[in-house]
Amino acid sequence: MSSNRELTMSSYVRIGLGLMLIVGIEVVLTYQHLPKRTLLFSLLCLACFEAFVAIMYLMHVKYERPILFWTVFPATLFVLVFLCYIWPDAFRMFNMRLTQ
Amino acid sequence: MTESALAVVGQHELLMEPSPYSMDKKKLGMWVFIVSDACTFAAFLFAYGYMRIGAPVWGTPFGTSSIVNGVVMTAVLLSSSLTMLAAVRAAQAGARSSARKWLGATMLLGAIFALLHLREWFKLIDEGWRLFYNPTGGAAQFGATFFSVTGLHLTHVVTGVIALAFITRGYFYGRYDESHVETAGLYWHFVDLVWMFVFPLMYLMNAH
Repeated sequence: MSSNRELTMSSYVRIGLGLMLIVGIEVVLTYQHLPKRTLLFSLLCLACFEAFVAIMYLMHVKYERPILFWTVFPATLFVLVFLCYIWPDAFRMFNMRLTQ
Repeated sequence: MTESALAVVGQHELLMEPSPYSMDKKKLGMWVFIVSDACTFAAFLFAYGYMRIGAPVWGTPFGTSSIVNGVVMTAVLLSSSLTMLAAVRAAQAGARSSARKWLGATMLLGAIFALLHLREWFKLIDEGWRLFYNPTGGAAQFGATFFSVTGLHLTHVVTGVIALAFITRGYFYGRYDESHVETAGLYWHFVDLVWMFVFPLMYLMNAH
């Protein structure tokens, strides 16, 4: 249930402009000829921040009961971290090919 | 349902504890869907990451025009999130006419996003990029990962526009209420959220 503490529409517009500004920073970083690893890390950090703002404000999680946040996000993060853990194991397939 | 059955259901509801989430069932269901869909997108993006790391040479087909197109697409999608928020607020305030207009604006922006996306796809196809062919001689998997990830996202946008059309129509005729609009809004914001990862990872990381 959303509460009455919600932001005004002009505040949402400011959040939208802030998100666009972050996209602008991402584009500027892309053309700074940074090492790929640094660029990837920077872009992922900015994207995670954007996602956090979108979840909390645009998707109203900030105004829902905290139980929603604690039910949904730790479980999702666990699955995503586990994906990171099991994917490298997929490379084992290359060594499991049957030889003729 | 008979009167006695209704009485049993009524008694049952009194015996049940209220939901700890204190939210509409549709909305909670949408959250469950969003979590599962987030994992699907994550799996696609992880697969792309591992393929890219595993390939000695990767394609970087995106010039300035494609990046500008991507920025415009991002602006359009973010604007559609704001119009969706305005639609939800109007629906919650009982302003049906205003809610319908904002829903219409959201659908229009979604359609513009899809068209810009398709334009980018056709440009790549004209340049010779295919699902399993890289015209620059680099890793052939670029096409497979790019078209899969962006195609999955595009499918979500198009599905969202169609769903919004049904919700708007139902809302117009009084079959649906503000909770339906709010649930559709949750989905629409999720589509926007996914793009915040797709754009930097698929476009910016592949800019030349």
